[in-house]
Amino acid sequence: MTRVLVPTVCPYCGAGCGLFIAVEKGNPTGIEYMRDHPVSEGALCPKGNAALEILRHQDRLTSPLKRKGEGFVEISWDEAMDLLVREMGGAIRKHGPRRIAILASSKCTNEENYLIQKLARLLGSPNVDNCARLCHAPSVVGLNRTLGAAGMTNPIPDIASSQCIFIIGSNLAENHPVISRFIHRAHDDGAVVIVADPRETHTSWMADIFLQLEPGTDVALLNGMAHVIIKEGLFDGDYIAKNTRGFEALRESVKDFSPENVSEITGVSPDDIVRAARAYAISPASSILYSMGITQHTTGTENVQAISNLALITGHIGRPGTGVMPLRGQNNVQGACDMGALAEFYPGYRKADDPETVRYFSSAWNAEGLPLGPGLTATEMIDAAALGEIKAMYIVGEDPANSDPSSRNVHGALESLDFLVVQDIFMTATANLADLVLPGAVWAEKEGSFTNTERRVQWSFKAVDPPGEALSDLEIVCMVGRTLGVELDYPDAASVLAEINRTVPQYAGITRDRLGESSLVWPCPTADHPGTPILHTSGFKLADGRAAIVPVPYRPAAEESSWDYPFILTTGRVAVHHNAGSMTRRSPSLISREPDLYVEMNVADALRLRVADGDEVMVTTPRGETEARARLTDGVKRGVVFMPFHFPGTNILTSEVTDPEARIPEFKVSACKISRRD
Amino acid sequence: MPVYVDVARCIGCRSCEVACERVHEGLGHVKVHFVGDSASVPIFCHHCEEANCTIACFSGALFKDGERTAFDVEKCTGCGLCSLACPFGVVWTDKIAHKCDLCDGRAEPACVTTCPANALTTDFELASRRARVRAARTAAQGGRR
Repeated sequence: MTRVLVPTVCPYCGAGCGLFIAVEKGNPTGIEYMRDHPVSEGALCPKGNAALEILRHQDRLTSPLKRKGEGFVEISWDEAMDLLVREMGGAIRKHGPRRIAILASSKCTNEENYLIQKLARLLGSPNVDNCARLCHAPSVVGLNRTLGAAGMTNPIPDIASSQCIFIIGSNLAENHPVISRFIHRAHDDGAVVIVADPRETHTSWMADIFLQLEPGTDVALLNGMAHVIIKEGLFDGDYIAKNTRGFEALRESVKDFSPENVSEITGVSPDDIVRAARAYAISPASSILYSMGITQHTTGTENVQAISNLALITGHIGRPGTGVMPLRGQNNVQGACDMGALAEFYPGYRKADDPETVRYFSSAWNAEGLPLGPGLTATEMIDAAALGEIKAMYIVGEDPANSDPSSRNVHGALESLDFLVVQDIFMTATANLADLVLPGAVWAEKEGSFTNTERRVQWSFKAVDPPGEALSDLEIVCMVGRTLGVELDYPDAASVLAEINRTVPQYAGITRDRLGESSLVWPCPTADHPGTPILHTSGFKLADGRAAIVPVPYRPAAEESSWDYPFILTTGRVAVHHNAGSMTRRSPSLISREPDLYVEMNVADALRLRVADGDEVMVTTPRGETEARARLTDGVKRGVVFMPFHFPGTNILTSEVTDPEARIPEFKVSACKISRRD
Repeated sequence: MPVYVDVARCIGCRSCEVACERVHEGLGHVKVHFVGDSASVPIFCHHCEEANCTIACFSGALFKDGERTAFDVEKCTGCGLCSLACPFGVVWTDKIAHKCDLCDGRAEPACVTTCPANALTTDFELASRRARVRAARTAAQGGRR
């Protein structure tokens, strides 16, 4: 029997690990490790090891479905497209294209995301976005402003050559487990590891210096470190003079952030703030890794800028072992952003409010009437739907009914739409609200390129056919486009990538031929360019070639604890689950390891509430209430509780207040109360 | 060639558990134990030189094969004495005995290859060198990390 090993890219986090799927007679029979992969080196986390469990899962959607009363009936693709043209087409004719919105998917390939945003814009709607809005929108806004590029500045394996690794707001040991091996390697070579987090996490186990700050006080901590670095003269004056602007303003703005003052705000001891600042500043090569703990705040953009400031004043950027590293949570959230599936950017981060952008794409796509100006973001779409300003939505591979904050309101908003089309692989909470459900394909059932968190573009090959009537998302998007009367005719992913090579300068040299052999890291401007693993090696892509140091004031989080809601709820992930959980909660070997929603709380708080480990408790915020099992720990401070967001209950509770610039909700700080269930 | 664990590296992701189950038709031979909130330890078959399980096994199903503590399924009676005898709790009886076979037939045990944190190795030299490096650093820093 022939057994073929098909190289693919893991469908879970943004690390972009490679894995082979063994295929026998058209059936997936196993996973083999990819030892020569540049990032994973053969390793896979539990989710990667369990990836095949969702590939042939009994719950997979295998046919288009139409709402009938409370349930759904199977229909043919022809009937689905008839319904689509009648309802979605009708909404566009009646209300205009700006009254529809499309959510692209950070689980889909670059080629699919490129087509999804192209579909929206060819239809005349500026309203296209993806779930980056809920994770790294502040990095896109903040780092584009300060460094002129939003991606991770250095590759993952490069972390091993760092001499000081500062991890803030990232539990990478659980969320991007393979990155741990490079941190251990650096640590073996004498690197200092600093972890800042409101919780003791598996990541903090790696720390030499652990800074347990109060949720939402990151700017204060980062400004405090900048204060120490400036006061003690540990900044890199030469680097600042040659490569940056704005240092004097920063010096002025952090004057009051003495370790003592910062300690008052953050709860971190002044000594630890000084130790961390010194360790980061004086090492020959320091890197900062961060994630949702930084971005999912009303001060998300400011947090990101404060991080960028630290790297710039110490010159820890543009060399091996240094850098600013936003770790991205989905396998292709970087790619979805690069492809312009964002409200404020066309492909290649061309500004949507720039008439030159519209002129460029009108000519490149041979199209008229492309929309100018930023569209509605993912969070704004939901608000607009609730207000009746958005009439119809097409949601591809996203589950806002579970993943957006204050999810009860999201349900209401989606129900109030005239027409909702959801394209997914499972009947998610969002799909359950749809009028039309289209069955898509998982990673191994199609080919195309994915861009991981370090900007590495990899080709993932097709191992097996989609189940039943399900089709690749590329085929579906093209079909939807043709149905709605726009020209989207692409036979395969390679032909889309060829167009991306022409229209996205960062991807110009990342051709299908070159991706067959290996992976390439963008920017890769020409067909013989080797790719750019390290950004900002000589100046910055900003107006005067200098990076911007932007002073950042400290603002507290939107919600604080009160008499009625005495605890601060923060959220995050666990190693065996992923995001809204539609995949991992269906994966037997993962759900069996973490079957229930739990709330982690300090032992002393639990004692006062007479709650024992394992008790059912009710967690309540003004948005709603949720049952969870208490998990007692010393790993969170008194007054702070933690819940993983893989279960539908969590985001019923979270706050929908957003960062005024990046429009990301403050998932990480919600005031709540906890009561016994009896 | 047993599997050596570097506890300081383990991040408690349980990838070894899932990988082991995956390559052994659902019956895993490694369990990650969490010690409070501060550490996780994967517990493995040590492939002991004087293996209690082989001594307890009267049918000869469990036996030493070089460094490996091997298992002959044909001879197993399912009595469960091996499970009782193992001081580490890593021999199970479910109709018949099952335990770590070091992934017979694979180039390297699946848990070792898959471990995202490089906490597992079959290389004794590597494992002991890492321990010495850590000891040296602790000594040099006077006990401070």
